[in-house]
Amino acid sequence: MAQIFSTHFGFLFRLGALAALVIIIAVILLWRAVMAYPAGVQDALEQPVPFSHKHHVGEDGIDCRYCHASVERSAFAGIPSLSTCMTCHSQLYTDQPMLKPLIASYESGVAFHWQRLHKLPDFVYFDHSIHVAKGVGCETCHGRVDEMPLMARVAPLTMQWCLDCHRNPQKYLRPHDRVFSMGWQAKDQLALGEKLVRAYHIDTRRLTDCSVCHR
Amino acid sequence: MFRLSSLMPRQTTSPPFDLDAARARLRDASGPRYWRSLEELADAEGFQAWLKTRFPQLSQDAPLDRRGFLKFIGASMALAGLTACSHPPQTELVPYVHGQSEWAAGLPRYFATTLTRNGYAQGVLVRSDEGRPTKIEGNPQHPASLGATDIFAQAAILQLWDPDRSQSLMHAGEFSTWEEFAAAWAALRTRFDRNRGQGLRVLTRTMTSPTLAAQLAAFQEKYPDARWHVHEPGGASLSQSQDARGAPISAHHHFDRARVILALDADFLSDPAGGVRYSRDFIWTRDPERGAMSRLYAVEPTPSITGMMADHRLPLESARIGEFAQALTQRLDAAGADAGGASMPAQRARWLDALADDLRGANGASLIVAGFAQAPAVHAAVHAMNIALGNVGTTVEYGATIEALPKQVLAPRANDDGSLRALAIAMRAGQVDTLLVLDGNPVYDAPADLEFAAALQRVPHLLHLGLYRDETGALAEWHLPMSHELEAWGDARAFDGTASIAQPLIAPLYGGKSAIELMSLLLDGDFADGRAVVKRQWSSELKDDDAWNAALQAGVVANTALPPTSAHAPRGANRASPSVSSAFDQNIGKLELLFRPDPTIGDGDWSNNGWLQELPKPLTQLAWDNVALISPTLAAQHRLNSGDVVELRSHGRKLRAPIWIMPGQAPRAVTVHLGYGRTRAGRVGNGQGYNAYALRTSDSPWQADDLQIVPTGERYELATTQHHFNLEGRDLVRTGTLVEFLHDPRFASAHDRYDGKAPSLYPDYPKGEYAWGMSIDLNACIGCKACTIACQSENNIPVVGKDQVHRGREMHWIRVDHYYEGDAENPAAVNQPVPCMMCEHAPCELVCPVDATVHDSEGLNVQVYNRCVGTRFCSNNCPYKVRRFNFLQYADKQTPQYEAMRNPEVSVRRRGVMEKCTYCIQRIETAHIAADKENRKLRDGEVVTACQAVCPTQAIRFGDIADPHSAVSKAKQSPRNYAMLAELGTRPRTTYLARIRNPNPALKDET
Repeated sequence: MAQIFSTHFGFLFRLGALAALVIIIAVILLWRAVMAYPAGVQDALEQPVPFSHKHHVGEDGIDCRYCHASVERSAFAGIPSLSTCMTCHSQLYTDQPMLKPLIASYESGVAFHWQRLHKLPDFVYFDHSIHVAKGVGCETCHGRVDEMPLMARVAPLTMQWCLDCHRNPQKYLRPHDRVFSMGWQAKDQLALGEKLVRAYHIDTRRLTDCSVCHR
Repeated sequence: MFRLSSLMPRQTTSPPFDLDAARARLRDASGPRYWRSLEELADAEGFQAWLKTRFPQLSQDAPLDRRGFLKFIGASMALAGLTACSHPPQTELVPYVHGQSEWAAGLPRYFATTLTRNGYAQGVLVRSDEGRPTKIEGNPQHPASLGATDIFAQAAILQLWDPDRSQSLMHAGEFSTWEEFAAAWAALRTRFDRNRGQGLRVLTRTMTSPTLAAQLAAFQEKYPDARWHVHEPGGASLSQSQDARGAPISAHHHFDRARVILALDADFLSDPAGGVRYSRDFIWTRDPERGAMSRLYAVEPTPSITGMMADHRLPLESARIGEFAQALTQRLDAAGADAGGASMPAQRARWLDALADDLRGANGASLIVAGFAQAPAVHAAVHAMNIALGNVGTTVEYGATIEALPKQVLAPRANDDGSLRALAIAMRAGQVDTLLVLDGNPVYDAPADLEFAAALQRVPHLLHLGLYRDETGALAEWHLPMSHELEAWGDARAFDGTASIAQPLIAPLYGGKSAIELMSLLLDGDFADGRAVVKRQWSSELKDDDAWNAALQAGVVANTALPPTSAHAPRGANRASPSVSSAFDQNIGKLELLFRPDPTIGDGDWSNNGWLQELPKPLTQLAWDNVALISPTLAAQHRLNSGDVVELRSHGRKLRAPIWIMPGQAPRAVTVHLGYGRTRAGRVGNGQGYNAYALRTSDSPWQADDLQIVPTGERYELATTQHHFNLEGRDLVRTGTLVEFLHDPRFASAHDRYDGKAPSLYPDYPKGEYAWGMSIDLNACIGCKACTIACQSENNIPVVGKDQVHRGREMHWIRVDHYYEGDAENPAAVNQPVPCMMCEHAPCELVCPVDATVHDSEGLNVQVYNRCVGTRFCSNNCPYKVRRFNFLQYADKQTPQYEAMRNPEVSVRRRGVMEKCTYCIQRIETAHIAADKENRKLRDGEVVTACQAVCPTQAIRFGDIADPHSAVSKAKQSPRNYAMLAELGTRPRTTYLARIRNPNPALKDET
């Protein structure tokens, strides 16, 4: 009876298997690249005005809420209106070329567009105000913005990342007066966190309910 | 190998209706028996077989063999895979240029304003998200609303954002501008300035706006020979009652003070002006636990919402209602048993005697109302009876008329009583040079005998102000886009005279102007600011800015209700009373044709509103069509079935219409609904139904007594939801009489095998801080369906179209089921709103392969759209059939107007996803966050669902059932409480309170 498999078959089979493996890995990598957020973690995007949180927060010491004024009241932290910028910049650095778009927009009444960094899927209903009220610091999600010359996203914003805190809020909670602080660290976060969960009346049974974030 | 052809739909028709079989089945049945459609009543077995082939219906356009099917599926998967390959788009943030310091971005704001229906005000609070109006709620401070609204106010949001609205001025078919119109008017008015307005006519709808009335008065002052006409196609055109001196008056009813009510063809629960308030007042008197149960008698030719709430209902042809009123008058006067009953059947006489005794026995706390379609003589008889019964001053009050009326109404001139008819006569005589139509569509809705479109050809200049470029706008020399009520300043009076200011929620989307702004332009020649005009009008009442702002914020101008003028007894006959004789001296042998505004799209104003088109009409549960309602007796006589097309012939005019057999219809009355058969309504309304105005005449707008029906042998496909989610003989609605209730308060749940705590193998869900639950009082539900539309607006529920409704794919999260009980000729009815039951042991959760429907810790059965893969197992396993599946991409994601309209707090679902009632989880979460931020518990009443908020009768209560003091817990403690299908052990969180009727013991054997 003749051989079913030729002598080269073993080599060809291994070659084929290797090729299949390479193709599968390539497809997975390609798919991940295509599906990823346009701006990745730590990617600073080019903005029409190169606004520096490092300068305004770190060096000037402006409170987060001066610009993100609705963070304690609304789901949306608020993007400052151009008139907020102009409270200082009608006097300061008015001749700087980097501020030209701001001044032009303010005078024409047509605002320029910021490139958005933090965007959750449409079926997620995130609310800034409740997080701030329950002691989640700005820094916990947005990182050391006081050290960022150009804003970049530091968190993956995946559901797994959200659940890390929703399952164990004690790992991250801060006292109320430290919510807007940068670089603050508790001496014993877990002990403090557990105390705060009780003090803030956080119903941990509820934090992982689908209905808390999805509607 | 399987054969797909076995899955192909069969051609099915419903079995012919057999009245005798229905009667026989009812005779044999023991105990109360509920039914939803006549087919079901007549032939249970045949109907079941028909139902099984009819639903669930498979796609009709997939005649595929196996190989084709596999190819199709493969291609679909490949395409689906390809389109999924994209990353989320890079988005942008646009800052405000100038800060909005007083409010936070992302927080909705509410503004009080006024919507009108048939000219009468309904106070509303409108939610605004970043300047976009998205949802309408009732204004608790407004007397016509008290926090609730009707379906039309809810649907006004969709009307505002309707992409088919008129978007520009048109001059003789060309685009134009307001400046060009102003110039054209300036040329016209030089002539009218010289000839005192000769040939100038204005046509309006019924109108209560003090500002517009003052403008029209000034207009008539300036142009004394100009005339103002009023035409309201779906309501009483001009004030119906007059006092002893002939001045028009308005009647104001206090249903909350009445113990015995008689409605003579009066659907007061859906009255355009006061229906919402009347519903609340009426249901206030229907609380068996409080010991207050009024009794409602209804005599009507065609079933109405009011009639279906009645304890005793008598179907009677419209023309014979006068005779009935006369017989009742005699009984009340003579206090004798046999007065005037000579020609009357004994049963009818007994009914009348019992009614008369009951009315007299109420001792001044009775009330008789007559409907707008009844002849002035009937109204006069009703006024007289109310006086005789001592009701005037308690349950009914008379006051000055609330509508603004043209001068001719008070002092009619030759050939001119201010009506559309007078206008048409003048037009044909060539006396009209310029006709200004302020928000109206007479070309479509004028009675056929006026031949309005033909008469228009003799009018050189037609100026039309309208929301749509409709049938009239298309013929107009100038069509002017009108701003929506949510875009303009204005004012209006409520049914009791209370005035309220309307403030815009958004600048006009398409550069429209309001009637007030247009009148300013016509009077003064320049563009005025609507706010300034309205403010000037109210400057004597609202003296400073504080008073003005307070009135705006409250949504009512304080103390503007018109005082009652009880001294003025109404005068008997009305000036226009041609049908007095026909009311009493009728020809009973013929059929009568009744015209009624459509229950969901009115007189045609709402034709292009998808929400209202798709809302199953109360009683018939038909969507997207109008029909001719005929009685079961007449249907049996002509061997007709629902959906058969007949030719209606009246006054030498003909019209083809599909019929619908209406249980409870008076035997010889045929009802047609106005508002359909539009040709220029827009993409939604065009070509739906037939135009009943084509049979209407101006001298008798509500009925014709020479009707003939001729079967054509054709059939017309109607979409009704009445068969959907069928009862299958289960005990879903429970009713009892007051006597039964007093005897055994727990009658509704007495025969349940389990008292809602059936033993279960499944563990209890962990208890959270709150336990959300709902209680629906069937005794209070009048079946107006405002809840369905409010839910649709709140939860971004799409419109699916007639074809999809026909396939049983309507998307409403809360449906209102309608059950009949008793005889097909005169059944009693029960309405049952059905949202998600939020079962504690939910069958849907167990069968989901991907955990897309799960419980949360507060007892909500949640649907996670982003997990759902569309197996539909949950829907199959739901015993209440409350789950809705997106078979197609129903949500319109292309039209920018709809994007702006949607509630930003609720996901827009896509194709292939299951959805259902969430108990308005977005409202729960919003309230939760507000309370949690303040570190306090949620207060009872802090979470109000959309259906609960809109309900005119407060039939729906919602809250924390773990708190024994919450309103919903108290409702559930009622002995009338029962759970739907409790024996399944699902432990529904939504429960019902049984319906209680209060029949007159003297009429024990009758309905």
